Amino acid sequence: MIRIRDLCFTWPGSQTPCLSQLAFDVSRGERLFLHGESGAGKSTLLNLIGGVMLPERGEIDVLGQSLSQLSARARDRFRGDHAGFIFQQFNLIPYLSVLDNVLLPCRFSTERARRTGGSPTAEARRLLAALDMDPQLAHHPATSLSVGQQQRVSAARALIGRPELILADEPTSALDPQRQAVFIELLMSEVAASGGTLVFVSHDQRLAHLFDRCIELLAP
Amino acid sequence: MKTLLPLALASAWNRRLSLALTVFSITLAVTLLIAVTRVRDAAQTGFAQAVAGVDLVVGPRGSPMQLLLHAVFHLGDATHTMRWQSYRTLATDPQVAWSIPLALGDSHRGFPVLGTTPEYFRHLRYGQQHPLGFSSGQPFSGLFEAVVGAEIAARLGYRLGELITLHHGTVHLDELQDKHRYGAEHTDKPFRIVGILSPTATPVDRTIHVSLASLEAIHLNWQGGLPLPGLDIPPQLATKFDLTPKTLDAVLIGLHQRTDVLRAQRQIANFTGEPLMAILPSLIMDELWQLVGSVERSLHGLAWLVVGVGLAGMAAVIIAGLGERRRELAILRSVGAGPWHIVALVMLEGGTLTAAGLLTGLGFVEGAGYLFAPWVNARLSLDLATNAFSADELRLIAGILATGLLTSLLPGWRASRMSLADGLIPRL
Repeated sequence: MIRIRDLCFTWPGSQTPCLSQLAFDVSRGERLFLHGESGAGKSTLLNLIGGVMLPERGEIDVLGQSLSQLSARARDRFRGDHAGFIFQQFNLIPYLSVLDNVLLPCRFSTERARRTGGSPTAEARRLLAALDMDPQLAHHPATSLSVGQQQRVSAARALIGRPELILADEPTSALDPQRQAVFIELLMSEVAASGGTLVFVSHDQRLAHLFDRCIELLAP
Repeated sequence: MKTLLPLALASAWNRRLSLALTVFSITLAVTLLIAVTRVRDAAQTGFAQAVAGVDLVVGPRGSPMQLLLHAVFHLGDATHTMRWQSYRTLATDPQVAWSIPLALGDSHRGFPVLGTTPEYFRHLRYGQQHPLGFSSGQPFSGLFEAVVGAEIAARLGYRLGELITLHHGTVHLDELQDKHRYGAEHTDKPFRIVGILSPTATPVDRTIHVSLASLEAIHLNWQGGLPLPGLDIPPQLATKFDLTPKTLDAVLIGLHQRTDVLRAQRQIANFTGEPLMAILPSLIMDELWQLVGSVERSLHGLAWLVVGVGLAGMAAVIIAGLGERRRELAILRSVGAGPWHIVALVMLEGGTLTAAGLLTGLGFVEGAGYLFAPWVNARLSLDLATNAFSADELRLIAGILATGLLTSLLPGWRASRMSLADGLIPRL
């Protein structure tokens, strides 16, 4: 699913490399916990896997495709077609309704729209319901939701159109502990239902036991 | 495009207050530019309309521009005159279809009085070859009868049958206060208004037309610009005299064949009786417009500058708003938007704002035109609707829109750089 070899990355203007000599594989359907202190390059790694930035050295293959061999445009499309992101917070576009936020990937990727089985809107409603969201909220503005609700909406957005890869960057850090566990369970069951692979980044070691595997990123 | 436009609109709506002010400044700039252009076009058209159908203007040799101003716009004083006999010779030339003699010099409350023949009403054309029409009455036929232009009738409230007196020389309204200095008034021979012309948006609207014989008659007992003391000739006796004028200021000529115009011009230049010249009015009109045009061009340049200021303000507002939109841009990139999508998104916003400003600006101009056109038409003899939504104006509108899109390229480029540097996670 993901194959990383000899990965090095240094932010422009920085002396020390952010990531160096990183190598690991993630297999299809796996639920990987990426753990590391802040500054260890977790977010940078997500940017690299998402194909927004290119590594300084080394290789990243996603779904058997080497990202550095794709053009910038093709990488943007590849990301839209095959990856869903959940961020720490402020995940939603404030001026769109809950439903439109969930449908956002289908606007940019016809592949994701196609894989919803014909009706993106119906699939968005199904996902929101599966993630325990009140159907009444679908047309509410995204800003009217609580943080926990916002994270569930962003999970629905990441999952719509069953992308092969779900990348989550500390999605639970703004939630209290009980809600963290509930959110992760909901997320995992939906990822499992869609047959996707989950890469979950967090600095919180306590969540590691919920995952198949844990990789530790060390700060340089 | 189909995916981005609703996004761009929703995003813009989210920042509607600051953007509304931007649209308002664009609206004002567009209103100014389009209004200036329309007034310019109306003035230019009105200018050209004034001489429609006249092939040659003949007058004493001198400055062609002065002759045109005098004969067509009744401005300035004639330094020389031409003989009546020369006019008779010209009028009987086989090439000449019609000729209208003109004698100027008197005025009524600041409006020029033109001595001419009834031919004037038959042959003069304005605009798209429209003949002169009467809103009431008819052409003058006898002595001391006057036909007034539409603007004079409207401004001074004249109706048929009213009596008016002429002033010797061109006297302006404000000078009339000074009766002692400009006391030379033909009070002994008042004129009766027998016709009122329909509006033409040309100098005709501001002219009082009388017969050449009437002009002769009121000057019978005058010499050197003053009445002769002790010599009174009552109007009823004027017919006893020979009222054929001795001199004229200009003659308007229409030819049978327009193609003969250069030949006829040359012939008149070689006229044997006295030094004459013939000018092609449209040619001199263009020259005159070039003179007036520099003012118009600088005004137009200024209006474009104001549009530039409006659009620069728009770019500044969009750029200033980008800081708050980092998150939004990062989310869009995470769902598959590329840098070009970001550029397009911002340009769509800029284009929408420009289009909104354009539409409201056009609305303002149209609304103002609707409200003030009758007044402007009556007061300034300008037809503001002549070039509304003409090909030129559509080009202008397209030009403004293109400039707006081009201007939003800058914030668009900046937003795309920003979204590239931030990647999926904006760094503060």
